[in-house]
Amino acid sequence: MKLLLIEDEQELANSIQRYLTGNSFVCEWANNAKTAIDKISIYAYDCILLDLMLPDGNGFEILKELKRQNKTEGVIIISAKETLETRIEGFNLGADDYLTKPFHLSELLVRIQALIRRKNFKGNNLVAFNEIEIDLLSKAVKVNTKKIGITKKEIDLLLYLIGNENRVLSKSAIAEHLSGDMADMLDNHDFVYAHIKNLKNKLKEAGCSDYIKTVYGLGYKWQND
Amino acid sequence: MTKKLLHKTSRVYLLFSAVLLIVSAPLFYYITERLYIEETDETLILHKNEFVKYSLPTLKTADIQNWNKYNRNIKIEPFKNSGKDTIFYNSYYDALDAEIEPYRELNSSILIEGNPYTYSARINLVEKEDLMKSIAILFLIIISLLLIGLFVITKRLSINLWKPFYETLNQIEKFEIDKSNHPKFSETNIEEFNRLNNSIEKLIKKNTSIYHSQREFVENAAHELQTPLAVFQAKIDTLIQNTDFTQEQYKMLSSLNDSVSRLNRLNKNLLLLSKIENDIYTEKQTINLKEAIEKHFDFFTEQAKAKNLIIKTEMKEAVAVKSNPVLAEILISNLFLNAIRHNVGNGQVLVTLSNHSLTFSNTGQSQTLIADKLFNRFSKSNPSEQGNGLGLAIIKKIADLNNWKISYSFENNFHSFSVAF
Repeated sequence: MKLLLIEDEQELANSIQRYLTGNSFVCEWANNAKTAIDKISIYAYDCILLDLMLPDGNGFEILKELKRQNKTEGVIIISAKETLETRIEGFNLGADDYLTKPFHLSELLVRIQALIRRKNFKGNNLVAFNEIEIDLLSKAVKVNTKKIGITKKEIDLLLYLIGNENRVLSKSAIAEHLSGDMADMLDNHDFVYAHIKNLKNKLKEAGCSDYIKTVYGLGYKWQND
Repeated sequence: MTKKLLHKTSRVYLLFSAVLLIVSAPLFYYITERLYIEETDETLILHKNEFVKYSLPTLKTADIQNWNKYNRNIKIEPFKNSGKDTIFYNSYYDALDAEIEPYRELNSSILIEGNPYTYSARINLVEKEDLMKSIAILFLIIISLLLIGLFVITKRLSINLWKPFYETLNQIEKFEIDKSNHPKFSETNIEEFNRLNNSIEKLIKKNTSIYHSQREFVENAAHELQTPLAVFQAKIDTLIQNTDFTQEQYKMLSSLNDSVSRLNRLNKNLLLLSKIENDIYTEKQTINLKEAIEKHFDFFTEQAKAKNLIIKTEMKEAVAVKSNPVLAEILISNLFLNAIRHNVGNGQVLVTLSNHSLTFSNTGQSQTLIADKLFNRFSKSNPSEQGNGLGLAIIKKIADLNNWKISYSFENNFHSFSVAF
C-alpha cells in the first residue's frame, strides 16, 4: 500500500512516516503543494494524507487538482483548522475523512485502514486476524468460525487494537478513539479498563489466544506472539 | 436604599416645607397675637383718653345709670380701689351665643363730681382657637400650593432636563460587550451630558477593542498551539513504542502522556469557547431534549459504571427548545459528565426534564460549592480535580447564547445544575 503524506511540519511528518511504515505501508512525503501535485500526477496512491495549510498554497487546491486529473485516491485531511465550513468544503471537494490536529498516530492508522477497506470493498468486508474474523457489515465476530456475542463498542475496540498490531496504545488514545466527539470533555479514562477486560474475557471464553497485553502504566498492546 | 432622582429632589422639597411649616406657624401665631393685643390695648387707651377728654367733663353721677345702659363695652362701675390704669384679660358669658368670649379689659380710676369711680372698657378678642385654626389652614393651603407648584415644575423641568441622561442610561443598560449592539448617543444641548456621553463612548470603544484583541489572542493562541501539540503527541506515540523502558521511565512516559492529552483537551475547549463567542454556531433548530439526552445515554451509563453510580431520569416527552444542535449536545454532555465526574462512589445522578427546565443533580462533596465564581473560566471548586475548569464556562456561554438561565443549588446533599428555558 502506498501513501502520500502532504505536510509541511517536518517533525510531525517524520513521526507519521515512522509510525505508518512497516504496517505493509510505504509512506512518501511532500512538504509543499507543488511537490505534492507533481507526485500525484506521476504515481498512484492508495491514500493521501493532506494538511490544509501549506507554505505554497491551500490544501483544497490539491483536492481540486485530484478531481481535475480524475484520480480516485482516498484523501484524509489532517488539519489544525477545524470549523464546520472547512470540513464541509473538504468533503465537497472529495475528501473522505477529516482528522483534527492534534491526533494520535494510532487513530490515523485505523482511519487509513478503514478508508482503504472502503475503497477496495469487493463484496466482502472482512478483517481477519489468525483465528479471529470480523465482518464489518453484519457487525459479527467469529473466533475459530464460531460467532461470539460482542457489543458494537467492543468490535470498534477490537478493530482498533488489531489495526495497531504490535503498537503500544496509551489509555488516553483508546479512550479518545472510543468516545469520539465526547473525548474533549472526558478527563477520566478508567472506562477503558472495563472495555478491555470485557473484550479479553469474551475472546478467552471463545478459545482465542490472549493477544491483549498490558503495558505497565501506559496502556495496552495487541501482540501476536 | 436607592430611589429615583426625581423622588430625591421632591423629598427634599417636602421635608423643607414641612420644617418651615412647623417652625413658622407658631411664630406667625405668636407675632400675630402680640400685634393684635398691642393694637387692642392701644385702642382701649385711645377710647379711655377720648372718654376722659370729651365725655367725662360733662358726665353727671345721675347719668351713670343711663351710660351703662346704652354702652355695651364701656361701663362706669363703682370704685374698685385700683390706683393706676390696668389692662388685663377677662372672660364674659355671651348669653346670645351661649359661650364664653375672651375680652381685653382696661380699668381706670375716674372722678365724677368728686366721687371716685372705675372706668372699665373692654374689647372682644378673637378666640385663640379660631386664630390658631385660621393660621394653620392658611399655612397649609399656601404650603400645599407651593409644593404642588414646585413638584409640577420640577417634574416637568427635570423630565426635559434629564431626558438625555435617561436615554444614555437605557443604552448602557442594553450594552453587552460580547454582542455587537454598540450604543449610539445622540447630541444634547447640555454640556455635562455631552461630556458624559463622550466619555462613555470612549470607554466602550476602548473596552470593546481590548475585549476583541483578547478574544482574538485566545483564539490565535489556541490555534497556534495545535501544531506543536500535534508534534508533541506524535512524538510520545512514537516514543512509547520502544520496549526497553525501565518501570521508572514508564511512569514518566505515562504522566507525560496524561499531560499532553490534558493539554489537548484544554486547548480544544478554549477553541470551542472562542468559536461560540465568535458566533460560529448561530444556526438554530428545534430540538427534542429527551431525544438529545437519550442519544448518548449508553455513553454516560458507561462512564457512570466506573464509579458504580445509579442514574435516574424523570423526563417529559416532547420538550422542545430552539438551539444550535451542536451546542445543545455539548451542553447536555458537559452537564451529564459533570454530574458523573464530581460524584462519589455508589452515588446517584438525577436527570429531570420538565417543560421549562432541565436539571442534573448529583451526590458529591458534602459542602455547597461557592456559587459566585462557579461559571468563570478556570475556576475550580476542587483544585485537585482533573477537570480543566472550562466545562461550566462553556455551559454558561451556551445558555447565554440561547437566553437560558443556568443556576446552581445544593439541597439534601444533592448538587443541582439547572437550565431554565
